[in-house]
Amino acid sequence: MTGAPDARPSSSWSLMASELSVLFRRLRTWAMLLALAAIPLLIAAAVKLSSHPVAPGRGPPFLDRITQNGLFVAVTAMTVSVPLFLPLTVGVVAGDTVAGEANLGTLRYLLVAPAGRVRLLLIKYVSAAAFCLAATLTVAAAGALAGVALFPVGPVTLLSGDTVGVGESLVRSLLIAAYIAVSLLGLSAIGLAISTFTDVPVGAMAATVVLSVVSQVADNLPQLEWLHPWLFSHYWLGFADLLRQPVSWTSFGNNALLQAAYIVAAGALAYGRFTSKDVLS
Amino acid sequence: MTRPWFRWLPAALVPAALAAAALAGSYQAGAATSLPHKTAEEVIAMIGRADVHALSGTLQQSSDLGLPQLPSAGPKATQGPASVMELLSGSHTVRVYLDGPAKARFQVMDMLAERDLVRNGSDLWLYNSADNTAAHMTAPAEPARTAAPHATPAPGLTTPDAVARHFLAAVGPTTDVTVGDGTTVAGRTAYQLVIKPRTTGTLVDSVTVAVDSATGLPLGVDVRARDHAAAAFSIAFSDVTLSAPDAALFNFTPPRGAAVEEKATPQLHGLPGKSGQPPPVKAPAVRPTVTGTGWDAVVALPPGTVPADVRSAPMLAQLTQPVAGGRALTTSLVTVLMLDDGRVFAGMVPLERLQAVAAAR
Repeated sequence: MTGAPDARPSSSWSLMASELSVLFRRLRTWAMLLALAAIPLLIAAAVKLSSHPVAPGRGPPFLDRITQNGLFVAVTAMTVSVPLFLPLTVGVVAGDTVAGEANLGTLRYLLVAPAGRVRLLLIKYVSAAAFCLAATLTVAAAGALAGVALFPVGPVTLLSGDTVGVGESLVRSLLIAAYIAVSLLGLSAIGLAISTFTDVPVGAMAATVVLSVVSQVADNLPQLEWLHPWLFSHYWLGFADLLRQPVSWTSFGNNALLQAAYIVAAGALAYGRFTSKDVLS
Repeated sequence: MTRPWFRWLPAALVPAALAAAALAGSYQAGAATSLPHKTAEEVIAMIGRADVHALSGTLQQSSDLGLPQLPSAGPKATQGPASVMELLSGSHTVRVYLDGPAKARFQVMDMLAERDLVRNGSDLWLYNSADNTAAHMTAPAEPARTAAPHATPAPGLTTPDAVARHFLAAVGPTTDVTVGDGTTVAGRTAYQLVIKPRTTGTLVDSVTVAVDSATGLPLGVDVRARDHAAAAFSIAFSDVTLSAPDAALFNFTPPRGAAVEEKATPQLHGLPGKSGQPPPVKAPAVRPTVTGTGWDAVVALPPGTVPADVRSAPMLAQLTQPVAGGRALTTSLVTVLMLDDGRVFAGMVPLERLQAVAAAR
């Protein structure tokens, strides 16, 4: 929290703690995390109950590997959630950050402290980022548990055809979760910026989710190839590079750099709007 | 709060600063570097003396041959003969590991998938993660020391070194070779060798080879076609390390559950630098004949060399167009003419020249 160099660091920390506890005590947050956890459970149950073995190359990537190795449930679930489910939940949380308080009429009470606006923005962003991590870890953990419970577990085949032990495969699953959490940070910052422009949280949430879809559609249009490296969703599926042998870190680095740029740019926009607007509610 | 516009300054400045940083980064990457002067002969001699036997690196390969668009997504696109066509069109990132003449590994990094080629001595493995299949071949233990020491049975998987040697073999009296500005490839300074055919009878406009100034290893090759602004084929390292890779990389065991196919011994052939060359023909009982020399040479294959099932493949029908007496595959670099009587003509020349050669026989 170096961005809030005021004389009362303890109050920053307590505000942070209260913000996080508000977020993770909300019924909505839990409902979204449960819905995310249901994705790997659904995939595992469907594969387990199906009488036909999944043919390679059919359905989502890695689906055919699940019957041989339960640890692939987590990877399949994360692959399936990246394009829509995770951006959806992140959009809801990030779009609600400022607009939700404004809508409830609680924003002005949060701003009684002097120089409080920048600090409030930072705290709101950190809590949205915490949700990104929690959401991704939920999918990974539920997938690992469902896979271990329903399918045999053993050495994992990587994309390169090489095989690694269970321990290393768990480390790689966690790395994938971290990659996806980082991937969502840019979208969180965009959601926060949109949230400062409106008092209607649903509008900010919808706009954030729509932007994530638009970005992915644009990423699939060959006519817009010059734009692709600049889209925040460009490296979203690049986590597969962590399943190669040796691990390719290029996409991890590029992704982190791109997301950092989006955080700074959207953060500057949110700062401009939030520090200059009249808070009436 | 007297000047609220002041608070919008970061929102305007930050994107500008990010754009400037990105531009500066790309400008630096392509900046000309000054190197001690060398003549074209000296640079070619450097390539000949290049003594790099072990390396690991990442290759960026892209082709713009003007072929009809084939589906590049989905597992179907990366299986069987379509895999070769897929490699010869569009853009790919390939990691390559080489250690001596008998150990090589190529990894084609697809979206959420990977195709691997592992060669360790006489063992040769192909693995495709999209359909979890592996193929095993036994190659001659000591390959003939040809111009391309790292020959592979998968056309499209190659190194700048092999491509450069292929085009340097064509250098002769019909070619202008000059040395351009120094450049930087994969963080290494490099001489740019520009090979330009003198004849106008070929589709090739120029070939630019980036040659590492320290070792003489070709780091990148750009092939330009006549009347096309963008490179028709380019292959270059985006990063490279000139040390022996981990030996474990070359020990490939097919994963449990993979469908393993044992294949007949492949014909290892030096990889064609010009992509789009016809696939290797099976059992060439009759040697192909070559008409002309240099850049506008035409290779002729007698009837029966190309099996009927290859000729009638639906993909070929999709790629070729009917011409008088047969079908033709025209790309910006290579033209192939398949006559109904079984003869096949190919070359880096326009279709009219192939037809003229065919008519003259």
